[in-house]
Order: sequence, then structure tokens, then C-alpha cells
Amino acid sequence: MKALLQKEIRLSASVLSYIFIVAAVMTLIPGYPVLCGAFFVTLGIFHSFQNAREANDIVYSALLPIAKTDVVKGKYLFSVMIEAAAFFIMALLTLLRMTVLSDAHPYIANALMNTNPFFLGMALVIFGLFNLIFIGGFFKTAYKLSPFVTYIIAAFLTIGAAEAVHHIPGLGAFNAFGFEQFPLQMSLLLGGLALYILLTGVSYKIACARFEKIDL
Amino acid sequence: MELVTLSGICKYYPAFRLNNVSFSLESGKITGFIGRNGAGKTTTIKSMLNLIHTDSGEICYFGVPLIGHETEIKQRIGYSTGTVSWYPRKTIRQIIDVTRCFYPNWDETACHRYMELFSLDERKKPMELSEGMKVKCNLLFALSHGAEVLILDEPTSGLDPFSRDELLELFMQLKENGVTILFSTHITSDLERCADNIIYISHGEIRADCPKTDFMQNYGKSDETLEEIFLRLEREARA
Repeated sequence: MKALLQKEIRLSASVLSYIFIVAAVMTLIPGYPVLCGAFFVTLGIFHSFQNAREANDIVYSALLPIAKTDVVKGKYLFSVMIEAAAFFIMALLTLLRMTVLSDAHPYIANALMNTNPFFLGMALVIFGLFNLIFIGGFFKTAYKLSPFVTYIIAAFLTIGAAEAVHHIPGLGAFNAFGFEQFPLQMSLLLGGLALYILLTGVSYKIACARFEKIDL
Repeated sequence: MELVTLSGICKYYPAFRLNNVSFSLESGKITGFIGRNGAGKTTTIKSMLNLIHTDSGEICYFGVPLIGHETEIKQRIGYSTGTVSWYPRKTIRQIIDVTRCFYPNWDETACHRYMELFSLDERKKPMELSEGMKVKCNLLFALSHGAEVLILDEPTSGLDPFSRDELLELFMQLKENGVTILFSTHITSDLERCADNIIYISHGEIRADCPKTDFMQNYGKSDETLEEIFLRLEREARA
């Protein structure tokens, strides 16, 4: 597993994957659809897939003394690593906004989605959608990047829904700032985490099955 | 002793079929794999590396089937092609450092020796290499983990005569050390020099599989070279 991840990091990854982790800092921007930060993180991962395709990484990996499913595993490990790093930054900055910066006027008067555990749960859903739609779709051919278009549509519909949900009567608590609705929001975060694990796990199984079938 | 055996390999594409390909590679021999473009050489080689799925047939290495034992078999075989370069923007050293992690048998001394022999600079990137040097770079990876079987898809393409000569010399040395080599090429004069056996494929079917001397005797006329025999057989097949 270590060798697989090392190959992804040192040979096939695009530097943009690491640079785009910084998009997690968008969590701090008031009056901005902060979930776009999660989307930009996945855009960075997408660049690594593009890079890998240009470098013949998939065939090179398939020639190594590893199982074909390990080629898929390497890509998932790398993506999950980047997503986890971005999520960690988002979580820290969310905590910062909820505590030290809780009295800051721009955050109190924020017209859009607040950063709270619900936001973090939705960021995980965006990551899960990327893993399911893009990575799972990529391994249908191991060279076509077009599933990213479907993912963009799904991601922005999800961002739109997350931005709109608290306007539905009775669901305002989803967007509550501070710790008032913390238990509810934490359960939503756990729900997002469960969905992320489910989407990534299902996607991995599908990608392995697809990759086994294709001719390189 | 037969180290590699292909039995009844079939692969159907809409416009091409690999039909019942069967042959074996003897231990410590160089086998030339000849056939014109599109004859099925690369499809056969890809099936030997499990890069494509065959519709029927079985491939065995060291007496065990490839399917189900792929990981341990790939530890003991090497592949090189003259037509693809891996990770063009990474240095050779970076590629080596990662690749060696997958091979417990990786021999860094041998790697340095081949790097010197091929005049490869480990600080260079594949994109900075000439076509011939790319071939050598690919060979370096295949040779440095002590492969017992080498599958070489047009390894001499793009090489200058001197480099080709060096490489053929190396193949013969490897053969002396017991390495089994399958060598697909269009440059039949290379095989005249180093091959023990010839496998001739045409339109997805094996037309000949025998020792080179038998091939020359059975298919050649008077003073024909291997290339002349190959060209005549292809013309006859087309007629």
C-alpha cells in the first residue's frame, strides 16, 4: 500500500492537486458559497488523473507486479489522502469561525451558507460524489476524463441544494451559526461522513470491476 | 525446459482476430517474433502481460497460469517496448526510485551498470531522450529486477546500428546467463544474428514456430536471408 501511494505521489500526481488543497481556505470567505472550496479541491485531483493519463501511468502500473485492483486502489488512496487533508483544514477553519471569529461582523451578517458541522458534512458529500461519479466513471475506460462533466453538474446541484436547504421552513437549524444546534449539525456531519464512506466504497468496487474488464 | 506456454489464445476484435495462438518459449533461448504490422504481435504480447483479456486459451509462466498468479509471475518477468515512454516529465532516477519499491529483487548495482552501458543520465527525463535512448531507458527498468523472462516489443526500433549491435550483444550475454527472451521486431537482420527460434505470425495466426535454422531451411530458397523469406511469405499470403 505504501509503494502504491508513493507511486501516486511521486510519479503520477500533478502539483495542482497539492496546490488546490489551499482551496479549503475558502472556508474563511464570508458571503461566498464556501462549498465551492470542496469542488476546487476535487478539480486539483482531476488534474492528477489528467497527468497520469498523459504519462501512461495506468499501463505502467498494470505492468508492475501488483494486482489490477491495486492500480485502482492507488488512485483511490491518493484521492482520499488529498480529500482528507482538505477536510482537515476545513474542519480547523470551521472551528475557528465558530469560536474565535464568532463575533466577527462579516460572519454574523453572512448571507450565504455558514460554516458549521453541516457544511463539513456537505463537503464530504461533494468528495463522495467526485469519487463515485468521476473516479468510478474514469475506470470505465481508464483514459476518458468526461465523467468529470457529469460530476460538475452533480457537484453544483448539491452546492445549490446545500445553500438553499436552510430556507425551507423548519430546516433553518442546518445553517445556525455557533453551537446552538451543535448536536443536530454533528449528526448531519456524521451522516455526511457515512455517505462519503458509502459512495467511496461503492465507487471503488465498481471501479475495480470495470478496470478488470477493460483492455489496455 | 519451457518457461512460457501459450495454448489456444483467441482474441476477437470487430476487424481483427487472434486465432488459436499457441507457442512456447524455451529456457535460455532468444525467440524472434516476426510478422508485419497488424499481424497480431502486440496483441499477443499484451495478452501475455494480461493487459488484454483473451476470449479463450491459457498462458502459463514457470508452469503456473498467469491468471491467478499475476503478481508473482510479474516479479520474474520484464517487459520493454520501443514505442512508449513512461512518465516523460519525471527524471529517470525518480522513476527508478519508485519502481524499485515494487521489486524485492531489484538490483541497484545492475541498474547502475546498465545505465553506464546505455550511457543514460539518471537526471534526464524521458521527454529529453531520443527515441533510441527511450528504448534503452525502458530496457533499463526491465533488466534491473533480474527478470528470468524478457518480453521485448520492438526493442531495437529507433536505435542506431552501433546501439543495436550493443543491445544484441547484451541479449546474447543475458541468454548465456539463462534469461529467456521473446523479441518482437521488424528488423529481421537482428534476429539473424541472435535468435535461436523464430515464431512467424500472419493475420492473427502462427504460421511457423521452429528453430531458426529449420525456418531458414524449410521456408527459405537457396541464399535467401530471413528478411527475404519473410517478405516472400507475406507476398505469397497476399496473392
